Amino acid sequence: MSKTYDTSELSKHVPNPPVNNLSIEEKAEMEFGSLSSDKYLASAQHDPSIEIRTQVLDEPPYYVVISTYLNYLTLIIIGHIRDFFGMTFMPQYYSAMVAKNGYPPWYSAFESFYPRRLKRRLDDCFARPIYGVPGRYINCFNRASTDYNESFYYDGTATPCLNLSSYNYLGFAQSVGKCTDDSIDAVYKYGVSSCGPRNVIGTTDLHVKTEKILSKFLGKEDSIIFSMGWGTNAHLFTSMVNSKCLVISDSLNHASIRFGIRLSGAAVKVFPHNDMEALEKILRNSISQGQSKTHRPWKKIFICVEGLYSMEGTYVNLPKIVELKEKYNCYLFVDEAHSIGALGKSGKGICEYYNVDPNKIDILMGTLTKSFGAAGGYISANKNICDRLRLDITVNNYGESIPPAVLQQISTSMRIISGELNDNEGELRLQRIAFNSRYLRLGLKRLGFIVYGADDSPVIPLLIYNPAKMPRFSQLLLERGIAVVIVGYPATDIISSRIRFCMSAALTKEDIDLILAACADVGDRLNLKFSTGIAGGERNPGDWKKGIKPRWSIEEVIEKTPEDCRHEVY
Amino acid sequence: MPTSLIDNKESSNFLVGLAYKANDIWYDLVEILMQLPGGELIINYIKASHKNDPWRTLLEALLALFAIKYFLASRYSQDDKDNMVLSKKETDELIEDWVPEPVVVDLREDEKWQIETNPIINGAVSKRVDIQQGDLISTNVLNFASLDFLGMSTDKKVVENSVECIREVGVGACGPPNFYGTQSVHVRCREDLAMFLGAEDCIMYGQDFATPISVLPCFLKRGDIVIVDGGAYVGLQKAAMISRCNIEWFNHNDLDDLESILENLSKDLEQGPLNRRFIVTEGLSENFGDSPDLKRLVEIKNKYKFRLILDESNSIGTLGDNGRGLPEVYNIPRSEIEITIGSMARSFGSSGGFCAGDKDMIYHQILTSNAYVFSAALPPYCAVAVSTIIKAIIDEEVEGKVNPHIRPLKENSAYLHSLFNNSKELSKYVTVKSDSYSPSLHLRIDADLREALDLPDVYGGPGSAVTKALKNGNEELFFDQYYNLESFKLQTIINKCVEAKVLPTRTKRILHHEVLPIVPELILHINATHTKQDLDYAYSVVSKAIIDTLEHWRKTGN
Ligand SMILES: Cc1ncc(COP(=O)(O)O)c(C=O)c1O
Repeated sequence: MSKTYDTSELSKHVPNPPVNNLSIEEKAEMEFGSLSSDKYLASAQHDPSIEIRTQVLDEPPYYVVISTYLNYLTLIIIGHIRDFFGMTFMPQYYSAMVAKNGYPPWYSAFESFYPRRLKRRLDDCFARPIYGVPGRYINCFNRASTDYNESFYYDGTATPCLNLSSYNYLGFAQSVGKCTDDSIDAVYKYGVSSCGPRNVIGTTDLHVKTEKILSKFLGKEDSIIFSMGWGTNAHLFTSMVNSKCLVISDSLNHASIRFGIRLSGAAVKVFPHNDMEALEKILRNSISQGQSKTHRPWKKIFICVEGLYSMEGTYVNLPKIVELKEKYNCYLFVDEAHSIGALGKSGKGICEYYNVDPNKIDILMGTLTKSFGAAGGYISANKNICDRLRLDITVNNYGESIPPAVLQQISTSMRIISGELNDNEGELRLQRIAFNSRYLRLGLKRLGFIVYGADDSPVIPLLIYNPAKMPRFSQLLLERGIAVVIVGYPATDIISSRIRFCMSAALTKEDIDLILAACADVGDRLNLKFSTGIAGGERNPGDWKKGIKPRWSIEEVIEKTPEDCRHEVY
Repeated sequence: MPTSLIDNKESSNFLVGLAYKANDIWYDLVEILMQLPGGELIINYIKASHKNDPWRTLLEALLALFAIKYFLASRYSQDDKDNMVLSKKETDELIEDWVPEPVVVDLREDEKWQIETNPIINGAVSKRVDIQQGDLISTNVLNFASLDFLGMSTDKKVVENSVECIREVGVGACGPPNFYGTQSVHVRCREDLAMFLGAEDCIMYGQDFATPISVLPCFLKRGDIVIVDGGAYVGLQKAAMISRCNIEWFNHNDLDDLESILENLSKDLEQGPLNRRFIVTEGLSENFGDSPDLKRLVEIKNKYKFRLILDESNSIGTLGDNGRGLPEVYNIPRSEIEITIGSMARSFGSSGGFCAGDKDMIYHQILTSNAYVFSAALPPYCAVAVSTIIKAIIDEEVEGKVNPHIRPLKENSAYLHSLFNNSKELSKYVTVKSDSYSPSLHLRIDADLREALDLPDVYGGPGSAVTKALKNGNEELFFDQYYNLESFKLQTIINKCVEAKVLPTRTKRILHHEVLPIVPELILHINATHTKQDLDYAYSVVSKAIIDTLEHWRKTGN
């Protein structure tokens, strides 16, 4: 957005929220839309009669791939040219990258090439400040840049946008309702902070109670809650594995897991995403060959996977992994960051989804940031494991513990999900997100987009490929009042840049109609409808083989999909 | 080495991938380019760049070669070179025979007391608490274990503002800061922190303990140099180690030692490439309760052109007239400290960590810091609580006077230290390690008594049994009998104090996580809300418990 703006009355300062005079009812509706019909419900549960397949990936036409590479190449060449001339003629703009007074630069031009030259062009889509509840709508401050996203000007206004960007699967990001009331009571009762590490002073009765509720919810013996999901993974592995242990990790595992493993010093092998044969091969090979060089047996072998992959929308093949784990006698770590709360008939995550006994998984980890409208992470395991970890995990002895209001949010929302509070509200939320996810995914497929992920998964990535189209897509949607997240390299492959829709139970069927219409329109303008139908969306099963591509009209999609999406059609 | 796979993925994958793909379509490209208008210009540029800078072309060519090799070597193949050749049957047998060690070592019988004695607080953590340890319930106990030094977490205004924030925006931020997780209140808090500290900019993290471990690797890579204080707490140790740079340790707060290390290094450094160099230390040591001579430290680092990373988790809110930390004590501008790391879960009575410094440095973290990019933003109300506290402190700031919010803490710290320091009798049993300005009073069993009790001088550290066990992955041997015993005795002292309604604490360090040698300590965290009577009482209770317990130990041997 490089239009010229009169910057005199604008400010570089992120504004404070404008006064709003919505009534409580209006506010509640903005945070969590009310359901218009009982038809718009579904359930996210694996049907055991269907074999678990690895997902079918649709490929874009060849010219899209080529043009994407060309696009990157051009960006890189231009970037290098600009760097070369810039550093020669205008060193003042490169102060952070050149040595000064005998001090090395903070970071080298090489290290920061990607963020400066590629990401900067997308910066308008990142870190847009907001205010208020990130619920059904999110209030985005309006801003513009006159210097290619070097800095932004704000005029103090904001636009409420339909929110497909926040991790708010069950719609517990609310300021009206039981969760909030309880959390506020907790602040009055316990104060703002918990004042120290868990093992020193930071364990209150609320911590103990919430851990019990969590363990019961998950069906595990014991749990420990931490104040940050990232920190949970980062600090866990040093207490479990050492340099004589092996960790076998899915290639798409989250950065926090990789960080934790690296910190532990354990050996790592990576298997291609969800490739069970490769995993088995690595297992056989590793156990029989032992440690590299010495060939001594490994002390322990951990398989690390996620329940629901946050960039792909795919599930782990849990039944198969459990089988492998038992066959080869190794341990299993599952990160349920995105699946806990969002999957399964009663929200108990990936184990419930596949009907696998949670006790077959040695370490269940998850975050409380996503489905519960709270923050933090947890580890659930047998009591003897938790007892050791309680004493041994560094955060418990040196770092802060999770604050009371957040704990209360977790405990109330979890009790709502399990039906202990507010009758069937939890069940309804689960059914809404399942329907919403299925509807949007199938709708997008029928419109002709390439969409990844399992049918009922709430993470819906829409493939864009071309990096130049990412910011355009995001801006065009924003203009239509929809906030989405764009993800490109390094979070994904270099080629498969994407838009990620994070579905929420707070959205209504009518909201999704709007989103589909906006995508249909923008997709045409940016030429993004590449799908062949191989991954679903066709009119009649098998169409793709005949070369018939799914390109439904938006009217037809909205008319038929809400009903169709509730069944396994393909 | 298999671990390099992970590394590659994180750092060089991008360029490697690119170079490879670029090569793949290179010929097509040249052809297409030639046909495009202006295409020749680009090719000429490449040619010119070759002439001007053959090194770069060579480098790029090497990169491409490396990339090809890397890709041809199949992405996921592990190093099979030194594999034994095994038949299927042999493999099956080996698999059959393999017995893994347990997930973690179960707690030993003689370790279980550690879990049972961890206090559970019923209700708010404030000056007086109701605690439960196992089945034992004690009410109205004077709290000397809280890190909320200024007692702000239950402050009326802080609670009110936090509640108002929750009413407005709910509890969680529901997204990483770069993806619609940044609320206006986060931005306000960043500005407030930067303004309070006198830094250009500031960044906030979701957990204090995750801050250094994520900040340091942003600026330290293989080949860079970091010199770390030999008394640094475990967060800094791990942060330095995960960076994979060259680490040197200097004796705790011994600036002569630091200078001699720098002097030794300086010849190599002059000749070598201009890599990044940092000195890492704490404003107020977590392990010792003392501070370095910042004035001299700044002189040294400027002389040798090192940058300084100062962890002010404990010193912000406690040192300086207005709680601006160690630089305020020495009257040194914040700009002299290149990176300041701090906690919002201590004096600021909230949650999370932060890092402050100049804009470029912060911007780099916004883009690349692992715990910032890949984690949800701090709950908004926590940011509001910090802003509120900063405002309260600044509102009462008077030039040349100690801020009324900080004064009670300073007076209490000095007073309690003087009580313990002046006791002749107590000095036969314990030594006060901390300095009198420290809000945490550290007590160690006296050196002579240690000898009489047959205790080692220190535990762990280079060359110790634990280090060896760690190297060999022998988790059973992480347990140290004497360390457990000494810790247990300190806990006995604490239990006696609790009976008399005072709750001190002790170090809960885990031997195998520590790189450096450690000694268990009894600790009293002093609070601004304590009164003189509270301190007098605590002193009498704690000193009696110490003398009773240690005297009994010495006499009877248990
Ligand atoms: C798989 C996974 N693990 C851990 C985390 C980190 O959780 P948090 O945001 O609570 O720090 C995330 C968050 O994005 C995640 O996706």
